Amino acid sequence: MATREVISSGNELAALAAADAGCKFFGGYPITPSSEVMHEMSDLMPERGGACIQMEDEIAGVAAAIGASMSGVRSMTATSGPGISLKAENLGLAQMAEVPLVVVNVMRGGPSTGLPTRVSQGDIAQAKNPSHGDYKSITLCAGNLAECYTETVRAFNLADRFMQPVFVLLDETIGHMHGKAMLPTEEEVTVGIKPRKEFTGDSSEYHPYGVAQDEPAVLNPMFKGYKYHFTGLHHDKNGFPTEEIETCRKLIERLFNKVEAHEEELESYEEFMMEDAEFLLIAYGSVSLAAKEAIRHLRAAGIKAGLFRPITMWPSPAKRIKHWTDKIQKVLIVELNIGQYRDEIQRASGRLDIEGLFKVNGRPISPYEIVEKVKGM
Amino acid sequence: MARTVMRFTGVGGQGVLLAGEIFAEAKIKAGGFGQKTATYTSQVRGGPTVVDIILDDDEIFYPYANDGEIDFMLSVAQVSFNSFKGGVSEGGTIVVEPNLVHPTEEDRKKWNIVEIPIITIAKEEVGNVITQSVVALAIANTYMNAIDRQVLIDTMLSKVPAKVHELNLKAFDLGEKYAKEAMAK
Repeated sequence: MATREVISSGNELAALAAADAGCKFFGGYPITPSSEVMHEMSDLMPERGGACIQMEDEIAGVAAAIGASMSGVRSMTATSGPGISLKAENLGLAQMAEVPLVVVNVMRGGPSTGLPTRVSQGDIAQAKNPSHGDYKSITLCAGNLAECYTETVRAFNLADRFMQPVFVLLDETIGHMHGKAMLPTEEEVTVGIKPRKEFTGDSSEYHPYGVAQDEPAVLNPMFKGYKYHFTGLHHDKNGFPTEEIETCRKLIERLFNKVEAHEEELESYEEFMMEDAEFLLIAYGSVSLAAKEAIRHLRAAGIKAGLFRPITMWPSPAKRIKHWTDKIQKVLIVELNIGQYRDEIQRASGRLDIEGLFKVNGRPISPYEIVEKVKGM
Repeated sequence: MARTVMRFTGVGGQGVLLAGEIFAEAKIKAGGFGQKTATYTSQVRGGPTVVDIILDDDEIFYPYANDGEIDFMLSVAQVSFNSFKGGVSEGGTIVVEPNLVHPTEEDRKKWNIVEIPIITIAKEEVGNVITQSVVALAIANTYMNAIDRQVLIDTMLSKVPAKVHELNLKAFDLGEKYAKEAMAK
């Protein structure tokens, strides 16, 4: 893989990734600690023939981004937890109507306005179900600077593949840290772009939502000769509202199944020093950086620790989690929340004895805190 | 050089972030790893700000300075000095702006406290208070000898507009001069 060295911050890399992945629209409202994504997009979008609009609030920001996506272009919004809370209703609309969209969430302390400038991983559960109703979230989480880029690129391809919003979770630390990242070249990203499906047959035979039970809708760009109805209500194969029993059941089951049936396409994780590990650490996002440094110290002290790091958070890499938790007795999950992902590890592993090291005061977890906890277990 | 850990502290709006970015970038250009993280409060101006700079020949994972591992700190605000001095290793160097930061006798016993009037230098000798981050940059590098001087200067110039290149070069030279004088004492 050809690479290029870029010196930048996580937020700026997410914006660069969007531009390189062919994003042509950003709609949003700046909020700490995500604002640099929008700053950067306001430079990049006009340069690359796109548009960046600061709307009156977060709700309008995501609404504009959804509208842009319906016209057929790749579209993005970025915010932090409080912004996701505001955008939730429209994110539900995008899930229901099957509109692809990339949503970057740079996590800060919550709930409510919380700790605006400080790090947190408190939005893991929110990303799974930001809106009411049944659907299956696709959520990716960057664990280093390079992944702020590569996961954002992947999010655009997945959004078009599965026709739904895809979350990219950063946290304040990852978003703001500034250093070196080795990235794929722009050409390589361009070659890898998989545009969304388009129906090219006779318009009378076009039924955007009339697809197989494990496939997403095929939404052609609006105003290009292929008519369909667009609604948040339960709808039929042409998008028109309906309460017909079987149609309603099949629609929601399909929203769920289009992701569940293809989980292997989504699965992504990193295993760090797991070959001979006798102690399993689980961490994601910026916390995984502290965990890796802790592992260096632990191994120097003769403790064979390894890290399992989910990159696709939702759907979780459940089979791989179970593989390791079946094999290794001592398991510690480290999170900047009170066990939001531990619940998922417990579910996937079938074990209730997963230890946790949690912090919710807006401060990062240091490698030494992890070392202490492991030594005490 | 295996690993150098530095911390710049001030209050929001003073421009301490830029110096950290320049250091990290210069180290990467010189062929290593550099990482800058900033921690600040939600006050836009006046809140304590801390910038951690880690320079290493090997890959850096955790991007913050661990308490007790900081070799050098520079502080231009009392509130930040008080909050963040605890991370500096015993015997480590702390450069303070003596008009704004007043260390205690205990502090002087624990650390090598150096007084350099960074803001006065920037304001009166260079002629623009904004250049204080470059004065600070030069002081830190003189003490730590972390980066090749020319690489650091070139990186610094690449981050500031061309019309203020001379002003910033002057700031760099003055920072270096004051640091050398302080070291000779």
